[in-house]
Amino acid sequence: MRTLLAALAVSLSTVGASAQTAPAGSVDKGRATFQKVGCAQCHGREGQGSPTTGPRLGPVSMPWAGFSRYVRAPRQQMPPYTDRILPDGDLADIYAFVQSRPKPGTPAILRP
Amino acid sequence: MVAAPTAMAAQAPGPVATPAAASDPEPEALTGGRAGSDFMVDTIKALGVEHICANPGSSFRGLHESIINYGNNSKPELITCMHEESAVAMAHGYFKIEGKPLAVMAHGTVGLQHASMAIYNAWCDRVPVYLLLGNTLDATMRAPGVEWVHSVQDAAALVRDFTKWDDMPMSLAHFGESAMRAYKVAMTPPYGPVVLIADSELQERPIAAHGAPPRVPQMTLASPPQAESGAVTEVAKLLVAASNPVLIADRLARTPAGMARLVELAELLQAAVISAQPNVLPPTSAGRMNFPNQHPLNQTLRSVAVTAEADVVVGLEIANFYGATNIMRDQLERTSRPGTKAGAKLVTISATDLTSKSNYQDFQRYAEVDLALAGDGEATLPALIEAVRRLLTPDRRSAFEARGKRLAEASAAAVARARSDAAYAWDASPISTGRVAAELWDKIRREDWSLVNGNLSGWPQRLWTFDKYHQYIGVSGGSGIGYGSPAAIGAALANKKYGRLSVNIQNDGDLMYAPGVLWTAAHHQIPILTVVHNNRAYHEETMHLQRMGNRRNRGVDRAHIGNEIDNPAIDYAKLAQSMGWFAEGPVSNPNDLGPALARAIAAVKKGQPALVDVMTQAR
Repeated sequence: MRTLLAALAVSLSTVGASAQTAPAGSVDKGRATFQKVGCAQCHGREGQGSPTTGPRLGPVSMPWAGFSRYVRAPRQQMPPYTDRILPDGDLADIYAFVQSRPKPGTPAILRP
Repeated sequence: MVAAPTAMAAQAPGPVATPAAASDPEPEALTGGRAGSDFMVDTIKALGVEHICANPGSSFRGLHESIINYGNNSKPELITCMHEESAVAMAHGYFKIEGKPLAVMAHGTVGLQHASMAIYNAWCDRVPVYLLLGNTLDATMRAPGVEWVHSVQDAAALVRDFTKWDDMPMSLAHFGESAMRAYKVAMTPPYGPVVLIADSELQERPIAAHGAPPRVPQMTLASPPQAESGAVTEVAKLLVAASNPVLIADRLARTPAGMARLVELAELLQAAVISAQPNVLPPTSAGRMNFPNQHPLNQTLRSVAVTAEADVVVGLEIANFYGATNIMRDQLERTSRPGTKAGAKLVTISATDLTSKSNYQDFQRYAEVDLALAGDGEATLPALIEAVRRLLTPDRRSAFEARGKRLAEASAAAVARARSDAAYAWDASPISTGRVAAELWDKIRREDWSLVNGNLSGWPQRLWTFDKYHQYIGVSGGSGIGYGSPAAIGAALANKKYGRLSVNIQNDGDLMYAPGVLWTAAHHQIPILTVVHNNRAYHEETMHLQRMGNRRNRGVDRAHIGNEIDNPAIDYAKLAQSMGWFAEGPVSNPNDLGPALARAIAAVKKGQPALVDVMTQAR
């Protein structure tokens, strides 16, 4: 019974997290903001990531809550973005932009 | 460089020489036979130095003339450089391909001042460079004016903190002995730059004036120092008993044999290998070509994970062992935490423990280790391999086999993931760094290629196959900008006689420090493909500014100020064309890149240096 309750608690917390959906964001505004506030300098203009400076962000699999929490208080090397320099609305636009990045195919010259 | 105006001597104020008496029977001797600098050339030839790089200067005019006339401009051949920094960096890159030092001539004053940053790079990168500096020590022999400002009491003092040895010979016999000693010191691991002063009087006076003709001394290199055998056995015991041993190599492989020996040790143990400099996270490239990047035991792409799991870590000629085993976080309060688990045994094997200086801090943070073996890594590997072999048992071999299989699967997954990651932003413009690396690999993979500079955010190490020693030569060492092009062209000079395709991935900011080296490549017909990673910024500094701006809640809107290289954009193709290169660009459409590279490679194959300017994303 205890295991079942624990599993239920995890399940509810997951639902809770996904319920914390991102505020509606604009992909176009997000693209511009992604460039303006410097995300692209380390993560690439399409959020594709770079091996030495920042991981791939788009299409992101991280929920909004985790994404926004990390941007505000990064646990690793990323510079922190407070809401003073990146308001929540702008961050939501960025989230919408990285969420909208398409998955690529496999270009012929990348095949082993 | 400004030449000393010798005519000034006749007009200078001071005592007037008494005119020769009409009856003087001895006419003034205005010409002579062999000069001291001829003997210097004999000495340099005995060392087997193939080229001597220099921007011309009057303080070594005697030696210059001896090289081109007495020495017939052959072994050494004079390479005309447009900056002393380029001359030293060319020697730096050349050595890492050829394994033999180049010589560099420069003024002991202004020339050395120009050269000093490149000497520091060579020092940090443990590369021997053989510097010959012109100077006029005897004040009464200096022409008034420029020769005085180009003279110095102790020329080598400027670089003594980051050179291995120097001397100021006062006779030709002394020069001969010190020339041999300098070479021997430079070529004994840990390698490093050396300085020899070629006094102008010693260069210019006839040999007869120096007394009996000197003899060129015999030169015998010292064998590289091997670590103490008892300590080697202890390391072998740790490695054989370990569950998850990790070998980290930085400047280990001084020669191709070093790479072969590391492969042998790793395969014997089925141990994880990281070939990297740990000053970037995740680390992507080492100081030397230590280990094939696609080898199943190569775990460089998983370095943080395998280091965290390790119970024994052995650092092999790793400059920054602290950085390899600890993780620093660069936030408002800088903090470090161990990157290894508690109880992991840490070992270093390095010749840098045999020599140290205090002023410049290239020795990195003190690392607390369980065993520190003072000895050259490459020279110590055979003894370590034999010690490991003696300790092997069937049980351990069986455990090793299982470990090797696990590592191979993890490595294959990491390589596949990297390949998949490179496909993102494939059609973007500016062109993604992953696509640049992929397009370049597509064009060179069937050639005998050699990456002589550049890392393109680590993509080549992810997408290409490096399995030969000459395919990778590491980085600058001191991170002194301006290394890239001259080091690449120096390496290409060495690669030329082997018919290899030298590839330089050239950062735009780095190129502009001393772009005159492009002319040197064209003038001396040094074939090389240069691909400009043109992100229009000193981008590393842009990221630092972002960190500062965000930390202070001021944002990053103005981080480009002082960092961008734009408005106007530099036309690197025109720059290169103006100095005799084949050049194209800027290429901003990713679909145009492959054909542009193909045309440039065709030019290189005809013996011409070629450049493709690529508008890239920042990283």
